[in-house]
Amino acid sequence: MENIDRRWVYLAVAVAVVMPFLFPTPLPIGVTPEAQSLYDAVEALPNGCNVMVVYDYYPSTIAECEPIAIAALHHLFRKDCKVITLSNIPYGGPSMAERVTRMMAEQYGKEYGVDFVNLGYKYGYVAVLSGMGQSIEGIFPTDNSGTPLSELPLMDSVKNYDDISFIFEVADNATADYWVSIVNAQYGVPIGCGGTAVMAPKFYAYVSSGQFVGLLGGMRGAAEYELLINEKGDAVTGMQAQSLVHLLIIALVVLGNIGYFLGRGRRGKGLR
Amino acid sequence: METFQLWLMALLTLALFSFMYRDNPIYRIAEHIFAGLTVGYQVGLIWHSIILQQLWTPILDGDWWKIVPGVLGLLMLTRLSGKVSWISRTSLAFVMGTTAGIFLISELHGRVLPQMQDTMLSLSGEDGFATTLLSIIIVVGVLSTLIYFYFSKEHSGVLGVTAQVGIWFIMVAFGAHFGYTVMGRVSLLIGRVQFLIENWIGSFDQLL
Repeated sequence: MENIDRRWVYLAVAVAVVMPFLFPTPLPIGVTPEAQSLYDAVEALPNGCNVMVVYDYYPSTIAECEPIAIAALHHLFRKDCKVITLSNIPYGGPSMAERVTRMMAEQYGKEYGVDFVNLGYKYGYVAVLSGMGQSIEGIFPTDNSGTPLSELPLMDSVKNYDDISFIFEVADNATADYWVSIVNAQYGVPIGCGGTAVMAPKFYAYVSSGQFVGLLGGMRGAAEYELLINEKGDAVTGMQAQSLVHLLIIALVVLGNIGYFLGRGRRGKGLR
Repeated sequence: METFQLWLMALLTLALFSFMYRDNPIYRIAEHIFAGLTVGYQVGLIWHSIILQQLWTPILDGDWWKIVPGVLGLLMLTRLSGKVSWISRTSLAFVMGTTAGIFLISELHGRVLPQMQDTMLSLSGEDGFATTLLSIIIVVGVLSTLIYFYFSKEHSGVLGVTAQVGIWFIMVAFGAHFGYTVMGRVSLLIGRVQFLIENWIGSFDQLL
């Protein structure tokens, strides 16, 4: 058992991942207090307010972060919020923001420049986050496609953080820390965060201290939000495979330990 | 074009997955394509979003003072030559100074103080048994973990016992992190499999 070829484990994981897609079996998903409080915070926003959605994730974590961004936009566009998107991630951040936001805006009949704007990417996130406190236009003179902000009606009423009611940060890295330490701490803008599962344990500290109003941790967090807004998507589908793989991993850990202890007994006899 | 992109993505995904069977040339090709693309993209990105957008264009528009950071940036290149590498220390000192200045306040007010404040919990019991128990766990966990990282005195006696308690808290934290990491990695696999089944295999009927 100790010397099992790892490729059998890979095959078992592959089967566990593929099976739920071929034979869907809905499994119950509970909603954590962190996801609920984020939902409640967005729900409490006044209709039509200005909200920032930040795409701070790399293409490698699309599977976890994109369902969060999609669920957030469903909720915000339903409330007719004016959405300003940006990214501090050079690799694909602005284009992912463009693609996802436009796809969702189309679904809700929203118009670019009036209901949503994509500011794009600017190098040096510390300077960007600090600078937007004084003037967003000073940092982003144009939007992602080069249109001056002065030509976009939505940006007439948005000059700096004072005009932003809420920030929905979707992150797979430490940029979320700077949204907390620079934007939330210095300008008092409430922030909700959806992050990768790897980052979630670290972000829990910010929820506990009230610096994040709520937290969505990875695919599970995205699935929770999809359930809360009653819009089941990729995350809910993916969680079936997730649960099955987790059961498999638990079984493998148990088997591995049984094999180890039985082997240790045999090795001990051999020594005697 | 869209179909071509879809097939390219799928074949590169499968090429990378082939490593799980064993190391092979197809995997190596995919890996090198990925590394090359990343470097190429980064060079283009730095050129456009930093050199042109934040230095060259503003200087041409009359922002002459931006020559100063431009020169400081160029001085960093002196590190390539052993004889004059000391000149780059001017730029490095500037970077270290500004970074320290920016982060000292933001980190202190934005992270250190709020996190410390969040640890200062009431242990009086007036918030109910469950809340008080959680508060005790947090306080004991924070103090014992901090003591574990205190190396100015030998970990023996009371200090040693407390440090041992700290190790257990650290282990629990590592366990939580690892559990979440497994979930994260499985999520990424699910994402790729979802793409292969729904997008790639789902597009076969369009070709037939």
